[in-house]
Amino acid sequence: MANAASGMAVDDECKLKFHELKAKRTYRFITFKIEGQQVVVDKFGSPEESYDDFTNSLPADECRYAVFDFDFTTDENCQKSKIFFIAWSPDTSRVRMKMVYASSKDRFKRELDGIQVELQATDPSEMSFDIIKSRAL
Amino acid sequence: MYGGDEVSAIVIDMGSHTCKAGYAGEDAPKAVFPSSITFGTSLPFHHESLEPDFRLLDNIHSPSLGTGRTFPCHSFIYSYRATTAIGHRSSTMVVGAVDQMEVDVPDNPEKNLGSAPDSNSTVKTFESEKEKSKRKFYVLSPFKDGVIADWDIVDSILDHGFRECLLIDPKEHPMLLAEPSANNQQQRERAAELMFEKYKVPALFLAKNAVLTSFASGRATSLVVDSGGGSTTVAPVHDGYVLQKAVLTSPIGGEFLTDCLTKSLESKGIIIKPRYSFKRKEIRPGEFQRVIASDIKECVCRAPDTPYDETSYSNIPMTPYELPDGQTIEIGSDRFKTPDVLFNPSLVQTIPGMESYVETAASARGLPQMLAGGTASMQQLKERLEKDLLEESPQAARVKVLASGNATERRFSVWIGGSILASLGSFQQMWFSKAEYEEHGASYIQRKCP
Repeated sequence: MANAASGMAVDDECKLKFHELKAKRTYRFITFKIEGQQVVVDKFGSPEESYDDFTNSLPADECRYAVFDFDFTTDENCQKSKIFFIAWSPDTSRVRMKMVYASSKDRFKRELDGIQVELQATDPSEMSFDIIKSRAL
Repeated sequence: MYGGDEVSAIVIDMGSHTCKAGYAGEDAPKAVFPSSITFGTSLPFHHESLEPDFRLLDNIHSPSLGTGRTFPCHSFIYSYRATTAIGHRSSTMVVGAVDQMEVDVPDNPEKNLGSAPDSNSTVKTFESEKEKSKRKFYVLSPFKDGVIADWDIVDSILDHGFRECLLIDPKEHPMLLAEPSANNQQQRERAAELMFEKYKVPALFLAKNAVLTSFASGRATSLVVDSGGGSTTVAPVHDGYVLQKAVLTSPIGGEFLTDCLTKSLESKGIIIKPRYSFKRKEIRPGEFQRVIASDIKECVCRAPDTPYDETSYSNIPMTPYELPDGQTIEIGSDRFKTPDVLFNPSLVQTIPGMESYVETAASARGLPQMLAGGTASMQQLKERLEKDLLEESPQAARVKVLASGNATERRFSVWIGGSILASLGSFQQMWFSKAEYEEHGASYIQRKCP
């Protein structure tokens, strides 16, 4: 448990949907939000959707957590995929929201077993496609 | 134990210069007062052995500055009798301080105070400023090198905060204390003991300064640069943990810059008259020379974009500032030179600067930086730090300097973080309660608030 953790609970739905993304690959991405006193699922993206669809689904002035299943080809021409965890907290969101999301992140991330790369972003440039690619390799 | 979002928790952030206290859930602290006490007698000081510890700081190059043990303070507003603190029968203890008197904190204040004169001093609750300026005081701060060294002083400051500023009974409110990032286990246990035994608080939580700031900016991982009144601290935070070993502290803070500016102006022949030395229609207590210099600093100073050098800044336009006595002074290169001390302290003397600290702590990792603290409100400081870091970091590292655009948020980011945290409904299960303290003892704080 991290220092100054908020003690926010995690809805079981989050774990189930994440498991589906990981094992069955039924979603390209899932976004989560904090509602009441727990983390709940916000939106899904079907496997056909692109990274741009994903970034567009994040609100510009509210914080979110998101997982994104990234498919790529390595230099050795090998098909691979990695699961990204993104903590989105734009500068324009309210302090209270930033505080709540940042202090609950550690606990929430522990619930999702199988995250390979973690990112935190305060503006779109910090989670551009280039950065995702460079982190995946 | 405490249901719902409405818990009247109290959040306290005791910095080396000011103590911020208020109710959780509010936007800004209710009470902001100096975290230092003065100890003095109303009779003329006559105890010789105390003199060496008590001297006016007349030279900015004084070696004592480098050790970070000088704790100047001002705004003498509150005054009350010490009951438990230092514990000397015939002494007066006052929260607040006196003008211009900057005193080295004695290594062992208790010992010194124990030998204080047996004068029949009386308690005065309020005096004219002029009278106070003639009295002799010790100004004592509980902090030494960024961590709490004297718990008796902390006790008096907290007592003052609860009873005089917030007007609350600590027995009725859970307390969230923001602690310095470098605090060790003994100090945390000591804090828990003080809060539970002396103040009998129902519940307690200790949160690290750097973590609160980092969270309040929406980051769980970052490098926090906290430039406050007494010192500048750089602390890496990873996923909500402070990496204790890498925390660095520099004694250069806002107070130090104020000193630099004062001396610099004095060398140019500008004398700042303390407010009490001239007549005015309205007499407001607690505004002294330091305060004025500090205000000049806050109003006109800005961090230069490039390292300061005498030649390129000799021709910059002067900025006028009107002193309280009506005379207008022109401030030129000092505007830029003073803040640059933060980056290049060799402008004053050779103390390692903030930049080298930042680099060591970040150790070439692309950690986002974060600025907090009162001195961080300086204009352009964020831009300068960002630029210098980009220049000095390896190319692959991504550097992003975050700082709240709102001056209040920047200044009180630690307190605001604590305020939000303590007001969350889900946080209420996290408190270290009195029952747990009684069952497991003070060391349980390490488990509850890691």
